[in-house]
Amino acid sequence: MMELLLSTLRLSTPLIFAAMGGFLCERSGVATICLEGVLLTSAWAAATVTYLTHSPYLGAIAALIVGGFTMFIHAFLTVKAKADQIISGVVVNLIAAGMTPLLTKLLFGSPTNTKAIPISERFSSTTLTVVACLLPFTLYALVYRTGLGLRLLAAGDGPEALETSGVSSQKVRLWAMSLAGMVIGLGGVYLSTAHASQFTRDMTAGRGYIALTALIFGKWRPIPTFVSCLFFGLADALQIQLQSNPIFGHTFPVQALQAFPYIVTLLVLVGFIGNAKPPLAIGK
Amino acid sequence: MKFSFSKKAVIAPLVALAVSASVISLFLVCMGESPSILVEAFTSTFFNSFGLGYTLYYTTPLILTGLSVALSFHAGLFNIGSEGQLHLGAIAIVALSCFFPNLPSFLAVPLGVLVALIFGGIWGMIAGYFKAKRGSHEVIVTILLNFIGIILVNYLILYPFKNTEVQNPETVEIGKGYVLPLLSDFTTLLGSDFFLTTPVNITLFLSIIAAILCYLFLFHTSKGYEIRALGQNPTAAEFNGIAVGANFILVLTLSGALSGLVGVNEVMGYHHKLIEGFSPQYGFTGIAVALIARNHPLGIILSALLFGAIHNGAREIEFLSEKMTKEVSVIMEALIIIIIASQPYFVRLFSKSKKEGAK
Repeated sequence: MMELLLSTLRLSTPLIFAAMGGFLCERSGVATICLEGVLLTSAWAAATVTYLTHSPYLGAIAALIVGGFTMFIHAFLTVKAKADQIISGVVVNLIAAGMTPLLTKLLFGSPTNTKAIPISERFSSTTLTVVACLLPFTLYALVYRTGLGLRLLAAGDGPEALETSGVSSQKVRLWAMSLAGMVIGLGGVYLSTAHASQFTRDMTAGRGYIALTALIFGKWRPIPTFVSCLFFGLADALQIQLQSNPIFGHTFPVQALQAFPYIVTLLVLVGFIGNAKPPLAIGK
Repeated sequence: MKFSFSKKAVIAPLVALAVSASVISLFLVCMGESPSILVEAFTSTFFNSFGLGYTLYYTTPLILTGLSVALSFHAGLFNIGSEGQLHLGAIAIVALSCFFPNLPSFLAVPLGVLVALIFGGIWGMIAGYFKAKRGSHEVIVTILLNFIGIILVNYLILYPFKNTEVQNPETVEIGKGYVLPLLSDFTTLLGSDFFLTTPVNITLFLSIIAAILCYLFLFHTSKGYEIRALGQNPTAAEFNGIAVGANFILVLTLSGALSGLVGVNEVMGYHHKLIEGFSPQYGFTGIAVALIARNHPLGIILSALLFGAIHNGAREIEFLSEKMTKEVSVIMEALIIIIIASQPYFVRLFSKSKKEGAK
């Protein structure tokens, strides 16, 4: 039981970082389906820089920069160039899926994975999990209890009102999204240098999309989103346990278990949140 | 959105292509590769029968996924689920052949096409149903259906339909009756060796027919008009008595069916079996194809040809270069989409600097 709980926390951690990044983006009024891509590039940066410099901290800093930059591409395209927010998100995911294997091959000779990081140079996963669990509460306080946070909410719900009071909603969005990229970057650090010891191609495996669903399930609020991340983490933990422990003498095919978190996510999405209300100005 | 073939509609993709090609060549040079590789890769995609054959083979699925994305776009929907839908369509053909391996051609071919349409369509319909009845966002539903569909199909490839005589993750071969002729079969009859040893097959014509049918459906039927009205202004459409939910389901079902046809090209056209991971993200490239063609079904034929060539060229680059991977094509696609999607911004930027220059 304890094992399941710990495993749930470990598997929820990247989801929480990604969902909290998504929270900042979407609350500022930009639909963000590129959590997956940002998670992927920052995971790549963390593993690569940690391997090359032998310092997990430099790796983490690189991941924050790369994560922030990747999200900035989305921010620039949607806020400045006024491109369609979904198309821009797809593009960022494409760039991430294309660049990471290409650069991995350039640096390490094989497109599938970076070289393994020795255990002494890996990031502490406990630290990151604790940070992830504190993050939603911090963001709650920052966004709902400070002037800056209220500006962020206003950029998402009524940009015109914000403009009238003399604040540029474009600027608010650009800052919020760059910050969001860094938050997601922590998820990348966790994936490739704490949870695993290397970057592998497409290692995010849809976690960005699951985080997005958690955000919708949490009705775009940090604490409920945190709880739904834990729920999806539990679904993942259960499928891993089922892979090694047959129930009533039956072993499920591994694919059925792999699909389990996605099916749970889909059922949650269509079953319980028919009338979830997104930020008013999202998509515009 | 206008659909006239204005000058802008032609210039924008050309500019996008030129810019992205330059960026990629710069990238190649920075990595210490000779730019001649790019030239070599490009010429080999069009200017010989072998390269052209492969380019057209990749064009076929891209026409279908491009249409699939564009059709939903016209109804204001975003179908990112093409990837999952085409997997379902492909496995459906293999399943049919496993149950009825000895069907004669005149039954096997139409039935094979039909099951690909139906199973791709069902996967699209699920998303449409949830959109219409539960208000779930189709983007996230189709993304999740992609994961579920691909895992499901991989399971079917590895267990029930696995070819146990080989190590590779692939299904048993389909029955002889299901096999479609290659274009090289026709050229051989005429005594030419054009297209010889290339996989381009008559599914190419099927996809072109699909594009023409989509065009007629969207612009020359009242249902097509309803769908376009819905995409332009859902509220106005609803007040004019257009059934929003039913049309959402219809459009996503049709989109799914179009994607499902990719399986015909893959299974009945060339490999005659289904191989795990057969699709190099045809579904996602379809988004780029639709975007470049501004969702015009006939324009999609041309833009699919462009992306088919890029895809083929990237394979060639991977082959010629020791450092590059075929993901070069993904990056080039992304660059093209960025330029097209943020076109108004660049136009504004350009005209502003021109004005300043005039001062």
